[in-house]
Amino acid sequence: MSARSDLSRRSFLKVMSGFGASFALGCFPSHVAGLSDEKADGDNNVVFAPSAFLKIDPDGTVTVTVSKSDMGQGVRTTFAMIVAEELDADWTKVKVQQAPANSSVYGGQGTGGSSSTRSMYQNLREVGAGARAMLIAAAAKDWGVDASACKTEKGKVVGPNGKSVAYGSLTALAAGVPIPTDGVKLKDQSEFKILGKATRRVDNPAVVHGTAKYGLDVKVEGMTYAVIARRPAFGASLEEVDDAAARKIPGVIDVVKVGSGVAVVAKNTWAAIKGRDALKLKWNMGENASVTSQSIREGLVQAVGPHKEMPAGAKAIEAAFDLPFLAHATMEPMNATADVRDDQCVIWAPTQTPDGAQGQVARMLNLPPEKVTVNVTLLGGGFGRRLANDYIAEAVQVSKAAGKPVQLVWTRDDDTRNDNYRTMSHHALKGAVDASGNPVGWSHQAINAGGRSRGAGNYGRANLPYNIPNAGMAQGSGPSPVPTGAWRSVEHTQLDVVNECFMDELAHAAGKDPFEFRRDLLGNDRLKNVLVTAAQKADWGKALPKGWGRGIACFSGYGSEAAHVVELSVENGEVKLHRVVAVVDCGMALNPSGVEAQIQGACVDGLSTALRAAITIDKGAVEQTSWVDYQWMTMDAMPKLEVHILQTGGNPGGMGEVGYPSVMPAVANAVFAATGKRVRKFPIKVEELV
Amino acid sequence: MALYKLNVNGKEQSVEAMDDMPLLWVLRDLLNLTGSKYGCGVGACGACTVLVDGEETRSCLMPVSELGNKKIVTIEGLSKDGNHPLQKAWVEHDVPQCGYCQAGQIMAAASLLTKKPKPTDADIDEVMGGHICRCGTYQRIREAIHLAAQGAK
Repeated sequence: MSARSDLSRRSFLKVMSGFGASFALGCFPSHVAGLSDEKADGDNNVVFAPSAFLKIDPDGTVTVTVSKSDMGQGVRTTFAMIVAEELDADWTKVKVQQAPANSSVYGGQGTGGSSSTRSMYQNLREVGAGARAMLIAAAAKDWGVDASACKTEKGKVVGPNGKSVAYGSLTALAAGVPIPTDGVKLKDQSEFKILGKATRRVDNPAVVHGTAKYGLDVKVEGMTYAVIARRPAFGASLEEVDDAAARKIPGVIDVVKVGSGVAVVAKNTWAAIKGRDALKLKWNMGENASVTSQSIREGLVQAVGPHKEMPAGAKAIEAAFDLPFLAHATMEPMNATADVRDDQCVIWAPTQTPDGAQGQVARMLNLPPEKVTVNVTLLGGGFGRRLANDYIAEAVQVSKAAGKPVQLVWTRDDDTRNDNYRTMSHHALKGAVDASGNPVGWSHQAINAGGRSRGAGNYGRANLPYNIPNAGMAQGSGPSPVPTGAWRSVEHTQLDVVNECFMDELAHAAGKDPFEFRRDLLGNDRLKNVLVTAAQKADWGKALPKGWGRGIACFSGYGSEAAHVVELSVENGEVKLHRVVAVVDCGMALNPSGVEAQIQGACVDGLSTALRAAITIDKGAVEQTSWVDYQWMTMDAMPKLEVHILQTGGNPGGMGEVGYPSVMPAVANAVFAATGKRVRKFPIKVEELV
Repeated sequence: MALYKLNVNGKEQSVEAMDDMPLLWVLRDLLNLTGSKYGCGVGACGACTVLVDGEETRSCLMPVSELGNKKIVTIEGLSKDGNHPLQKAWVEHDVPQCGYCQAGQIMAAASLLTKKPKPTDADIDEVMGGHICRCGTYQRIREAIHLAAQGAK
C-alpha cells in the first residue's frame, strides 16, 4: 500500500469539489443495472473523471491530461503510459489532452531539469490505480461480489466466473464510488504491461499528417501578426522612430512601441516582416557597443583565482579551456498569441512554464491570475529556452497596444540574436598524481560570463564522480551584457565537459589508460557499470588505423548515468566522426523508444557543440543569424550511433539531459588519441589544438 | 497586391498577395495550411519544404508570383488518407521528437523516393543533409526512408 501523495489527493479532491461534482454527487442515472458491454452504452452518458488528470468516457475513451509541456522529450506519451499502466487501460483507447496553466490543480507545471517524469511518476500511478480501484468497486457492487474477487485487464473489470465489463460501461457507477482516501495499491514493476515497452508517441499521426498544432499554428478569430524590430546591441535604446514607409506596406495595420523595440502589426506574417524592414529607427548603441567575445573572455581570465595547493612531490599538470555562448535555436522560433481584453487575457503559447506565464501576465495586466488563460501548444523544441516567457510578455504588450488578438512571431534572426544564451566560460584546471599514478589533487576554477565580475575565491566540492583527495572547484564570473539562461544539461554543459577532458589529461600524466583510470576511481557502481559497458561495446583497446582515435567520458546526473565512446579520425585538418557508442542507466526506462531518442538527440547536440556551433559577440551584439552561421549537425555528417539502455529497475531517472555532457569530452579525448594534441577550446578546430 | 490562382494539393485556390510573398506564408497565413513550417526563412533548415511539380522546394524562398500553374503539394496533400509509405514508416519507426521539422523532412524524402525508389545511404545523405532536425532524429529518419523504400513497389 502506498500513502497517497499530496498532489494526487489534491487532484482527486479538486474534482470532488469542483467541476466533477455533477457526476460525483448522486447525479447518475437510476436505471443503470446489470452491466454488460453491449447494454450500457446507449443509456450511460456519464463521464467518470475521478481526477483532474484522468477521465473515462462512456465509449471507453481514456483521456489523460498532461500537465507538463512536450518539447520533443515525449512527456505526453510517458504520462499517458504511466496512468494507463496502473489503470490497466486498453492503450489503443488512450488519448492525451494538454492542461492549461493551473498549478493549484496540476501542481507545478514548469518543464525542465529532466524532472517531469521523476516528479510525477508516483502521482500519476496513484491516479491510475485509484481510478482502477473505483472501477473495480463499481463492478463488484453491481455484481454483488467482493471487490477482491475482481481483477482488471486491458480496459475491463473481470469478475468471478469470467464475467467482464468494459470501463466505459462503468463510468456512471464508478462516479458514485467514494474516492479512495487511505491509499491505493500500486503494481509491482514485474506486473507492468505498458511501462517498459517501447511505445510510439501519441502525437506521431498528427505530426506526419501536418495537423499537429505548435504555437505558430494557432489561428484565432480576428488575429493579426506582429514582428518586432529589436535592439542592434545589448543595452541599446531607441531614440527615433519613422514608421511612415512601414505603414504604407500593404497589409500593415499598426506600428506600436513595446519594451523590446517597435512592433509592426499586420494582416499576415510576411507583411509584418516587410513592415519591419521598412522602419527607419535611430538607436543609441549604449555602453556595450564595443563588447566582443574577446573582451568578455579577457574579463573571465582576469577573474581566475589561485589554484588549490597540490601535495608536495606530486606531478602536477595544468590546462585551461574555453567554451562559447550557445543559442538554443529551437526549430520553432519564439512566438506567442495573445488576446488582451479589458477584464481578461487569453494566451496560446509553446512554453515550458505555463503557470509562470500566467502569473507574469496577470501582474503585467493587473488582473487576477484566473482571468489569464494560458493554453499550451506543442513546442517545436525547448532545450530550456522556453523557461523564460519574454516572448509571451511581448505578445501581451502588442495585443494590448494594438487592441487586437496578435500572434507575435520571432524571425530566425530574432531568435538567434536575442536568446538567453548558455553562458560563455573559461576554466582553469590543475591536478596532480603521485609516483604510482594515483591522483592526489584537483583544482577547477570555473568562470562564467555572468553579468558582473566576481573572482573565484572559495573552493567547494569538485562535483566529480571520482574518488580524488584534495579536490575542489571555485566558481566566479566576469562582466558580460549577454543575457543567459538554462540550456540542456545546464551547468554540466561546462563543468562536467571540462572535467572529463582534464581527467583524460590526468590519466595521461599518470601513464594510465583513460578508461581504466576512470573505472578504478569511480565510487558510483551504476556509473562504473555504464562506463565498463561502454568500453566493451565500443571495442575499447582494439587497434585502430593511424590517425584514428577513441575517446571515453562519463556523466552522472538527473538520477541517471551515461557514458560515451567516440571513434574518429583527423584527416586534412578535419575531424571525421566514425562511431559513437552511448550507454545509459536511467533505472527503469519507462518508454525505451523515448529513452533511446533522447540519447540519440543529446548526442547530436554534443557533436554539434563539440565541432560546429558557437555564438560570438561583436559590437555588443550576436554575430550569428541562423543555421547558416550557427551550424548544427546534419544527417550526412552523423557517424554510426549505437545506444545501449541498461534496465536496472527502480524509479525512472531523468532522460532529457543526461545524454549530453559526456559527448563533447569523448570527442575531445578521441581527438587527442588520434593526434596527440589537446583540445583547449570548443568548438574544436584542428588548427587550434595544442 | 495581385490575385494569384494556385494549384495546391490538387485544388485551385485564389489568393490576393504581394508579388514577393513567399509560398510558405501564402500556405500558412492565407490558406490556413499550417503543416509546412517556418524555421528560418533563408532556406537553411528545410522545415518549409513542399513539392512544386514534384521537386523538393523551400517554400520560404519561393515567391508566389513565380508559381504560375505549377502543382504544389504540401504535407496535408501528400496522400489521400495520410498513408503514404513515408508517413507510415515515420510512425512505425517513432521518428518525431518535437516533430516541427518532420513535415519538411517527409516532403524531401518523398521527392527523393520518386527519383530513387531504392535510395542508398549516400543518396539519402545528399538530399536529407540539407535538413536540420534540432532534436536529432537523423538516425530514425534514415531508417524510416529505407523502410518506406522497401514497402514501395
